[in-house]
Amino acid sequence: MANRKDKYIVLTGATGFLGAFLLAGLLDRGYQVIALGRSSTMKLAERLSNLVTWLNIGPRQRLLPIEVDFTKKHFGLDDKAYSQLCANTGKIIHCASDTRFAERNRKQVMESNISNLASILEFAEDSQAEHFYYISTAYAVGVCEGICLETPVSLENNKFTNVYEESKAQAEDIITKGCNKIAMPLSILRPSIVYGHSKTGRALKFNALYYGVKSLSYIKDIFVKDIVEHGGTKSIKWGFNINNDGTLYLPLTVYLPENGAVNLISVDYFVEATIRIMEQGDAGIYNITCDNPPNILTISDYIEKFLGIRGIKTICKPFDNPPNPAEELFGRFFEIYRPYLSDKRIFDRSHTKSVVNDLSTPPLTYDIFDRCMSYAVACDWGKIANFPK
Amino acid sequence: MKATNITPQETNDLLKMAKSCRHYSLCKDDILGCGVCPSGLEKQYVSFYPEGRMDLYAALCEKHIPVTEKCLEIVDSCNLCGKCDYPCYFTQQLRPAKVMKALKEYVSNYLKEGGKIVKTPDDELLLELKKIVGDYWATNDPAIAIAYHHDMCPHVEFKMPQYIVMPQTKEEIAAVIKLLNLRKIPFIVRGNGASSHGLTFTEGVVLDLHRMKTIEFDEKNWSVKIGAGVTAFEIQTEAQKRGFRVVTAEPSATVCANIMTTGLISTFATAYGIAGNIFINAEFVTKDGEIFDLNEIGAPNLFSYDYKLEEAKPYAICVSVSLKLFPLTADEDAVIIPFESLPEAIDFAKECAVRRIGLAISILGQEFMSSFMTPTKNLSKEARDVFIDKLGMKYMTLIIGDTYDLKCVREMGKPVIDQKLFKTLLLGLPSLNSSGCFELLEGLSSDEPFSFLNIEQVNDLTEMALSPSSSQIVQDMDEDLQPFFKKLFERPEMTSLVWLNTFRIISSRFCREKPFVGFVSYLPIDAPLIEEMQNEIKKITDKHRIKSELGFITPFDFGKRCVWEYDLYFDPLDADELTRIQQATEEAGALINKYCEKTGTIRQLRYIVNRGYCRMENLLYI
Repeated sequence: MANRKDKYIVLTGATGFLGAFLLAGLLDRGYQVIALGRSSTMKLAERLSNLVTWLNIGPRQRLLPIEVDFTKKHFGLDDKAYSQLCANTGKIIHCASDTRFAERNRKQVMESNISNLASILEFAEDSQAEHFYYISTAYAVGVCEGICLETPVSLENNKFTNVYEESKAQAEDIITKGCNKIAMPLSILRPSIVYGHSKTGRALKFNALYYGVKSLSYIKDIFVKDIVEHGGTKSIKWGFNINNDGTLYLPLTVYLPENGAVNLISVDYFVEATIRIMEQGDAGIYNITCDNPPNILTISDYIEKFLGIRGIKTICKPFDNPPNPAEELFGRFFEIYRPYLSDKRIFDRSHTKSVVNDLSTPPLTYDIFDRCMSYAVACDWGKIANFPK
Repeated sequence: MKATNITPQETNDLLKMAKSCRHYSLCKDDILGCGVCPSGLEKQYVSFYPEGRMDLYAALCEKHIPVTEKCLEIVDSCNLCGKCDYPCYFTQQLRPAKVMKALKEYVSNYLKEGGKIVKTPDDELLLELKKIVGDYWATNDPAIAIAYHHDMCPHVEFKMPQYIVMPQTKEEIAAVIKLLNLRKIPFIVRGNGASSHGLTFTEGVVLDLHRMKTIEFDEKNWSVKIGAGVTAFEIQTEAQKRGFRVVTAEPSATVCANIMTTGLISTFATAYGIAGNIFINAEFVTKDGEIFDLNEIGAPNLFSYDYKLEEAKPYAICVSVSLKLFPLTADEDAVIIPFESLPEAIDFAKECAVRRIGLAISILGQEFMSSFMTPTKNLSKEARDVFIDKLGMKYMTLIIGDTYDLKCVREMGKPVIDQKLFKTLLLGLPSLNSSGCFELLEGLSSDEPFSFLNIEQVNDLTEMALSPSSSQIVQDMDEDLQPFFKKLFERPEMTSLVWLNTFRIISSRFCREKPFVGFVSYLPIDAPLIEEMQNEIKKITDKHRIKSELGFITPFDFGKRCVWEYDLYFDPLDADELTRIQQATEEAGALINKYCEKTGTIRQLRYIVNRGYCRMENLLYI
């Protein structure tokens, strides 16, 4: 059996957005990592190799990919491979998650985020891991008001904005009970909405904050195309035009239930905080969130500047007049994120601060916003050929 | 002997193209208004049409037949006008004119190198056949017969007929049959010369009824009497000129034969029915050569039906049918309603049929938004990617109706693709994938991704996003054909859901990717039953690595029954796949037989063939 210090950190979800950056952070700090992942049309080793190249991270010999099936006992591994995995396991970070919000994906989201826990908890017990870290979400607390403490979620009478939140809350509950049963130390890390790297702009997935920018970018393209190529016959009737400074006047009113903020953190802050908690923190719950989140007005200013558009405004009551096509389309695109745009909740960070008091997410300045969005555009929102899939 | 200057690779490609002809006779009807092969129109035998010349070229290259007198006549009569390229490219993305040219070169080189012309002397039977139908209209030349010797069916033994006869009247047919009975010569009959499902092969005589083109309208009695050689496209065109509709199927299918073999499957079955519902009378020549019509007192009772799980023998040859004429209204229009799941689509179509909403209803499988809608295979893949994979439009329900019908459909609250949006999507197809909007729609929340169709200004937004135009839709087509197709797509009917579906123009693209074996049945419109059967067939086809999909479902008889088609695709030029499709077809056939026995309510088309002139109620309920 390997010595404690030689043991690996077992990470699930290493090919996802947070998991990939976490993997990079861990390898960078000299940890050796076993990445557990599903088999796919592309082998896990190949996917991770692409990812490691893209992330430009250190020696790969400290990364061991193992293809597993989370739906099966012992991950579908044979006895020898499973025993070896257990013997080599130090800490477990369960980061894999289906992050889709749409209700029509409920079955898959629940399967991925809940059903798979059985084999993972069994593995935690079999491996006698030192510590179990579960990457949850700040929004597992559900629909609530006021201060959200770093305490266990209540499943009773709780409402959730979407199936993702609901599944994460249930998962926290299951994992907590599972770890208690085997007396395994558990830390639950709850990040809020994560965007790219504040210094490099890099990101792996372009949803959440990116989705709004991407939506408006496409909407802008539609109207610019109409104005430039077809004389704007359709745009003009809704008052859309190109200003003298070349910006597009796009009168777009966004309805929000109330004035509030958008709790955003950068992925580098998430990684740093997670590793520090892993190295220095005790068991418990950590809100990895932003103390001074920007409000939607700031974000919409950034978007206008970045995309070269004018005319975005927000209102806190439903439309009096029928929405114009851009408003209607954007409303559809952004419907799933609307609840997160006017968040009045305050996420308590006492426990987190006890470990990472000197660390906080950088304020989302326009420079950071521009860096992150420029990277997304340069990657064609993840569609360029060599972008890790 | 070297018979061509074409390189071996070119010959191979041309041979592959010649063998890819689906034998649907779309080159015999002027479906695109560009004219039809002049030599075919004059000489009538299939071999004088591009379809037959494709067979002839393949047969000569592979030395199945020699160069004969008729072969020379066929080659000489082709002026390489290229008209054949348009419908064939439009429907199958083939360029038959290249094969026509290669055929000419092949024979020219053969003659230059001293090749002999083989003559097929008239034997006694041929002379007697010629006496009946006229000298030109009976032949034993293999260059003519070759076009009648095979089709795309993967599981029949093809036969080369010895004689081809083209009678023009029922009296000639009767006389030919009596002669053949006397000589104990087997025969089969073909309406338009074509065959698609392996049903019409013989080593004896083929009676090709293509010359029987009479059309007699009796508007006072709302009927039109047509000969056995009249195709769906021909009669529908004439009917519409007069403000009527008739119930027909694929454009080049002859109506008489179509009713005989299937009861006539049409999306308009929803309003007009099938089998006995769509005609007033029909004339037949019996297998003994006697002539009768259905409305005669004492005529054989073809209306009755005793359904059995066995193939029915042909009773008689239909030589004419008096079709019902149905009125048209000026406000006919169409919409497409997408669905993510089959049960939802079936339930919606059923509800419309029960409530008598719509003239034509059809749930269309994934081929509709891919192959049917797109002019090229590349665009087909892109359309599939956007409509089906990204937007989740797995099933489409097409509804044709008048203003009141479509208002009802709108009020039912489903996202709808209307005529205007359909035109935008069709003419803007090449921009689909580059337009990022569709990718964003995947992320929409609780609704289906295609719920964006409910946006008030969806038409304008889509039009701005795609910039549809006839120039754009032809971008992916062969460059030399683009001017023709650009003009074609400017014609309003080419983007009209009503016209395209009434004339079955875009569904003529079926089998462009691959031919298929279709399992067709009349059965209760019962979503769990249909889904279960499809799932069971899919298990079989997956096992044999055969692609299979829903073809279509059309409800009729007040939503009590429907016609359902499920298709198994195969590559006819892949020997291994041919073996697999044969196995899959056999197992799927046995499976459906079991469902027939279990339910007692399923009528498989394979057991209806030759009995389609029956009363609908007898077929479905007795």
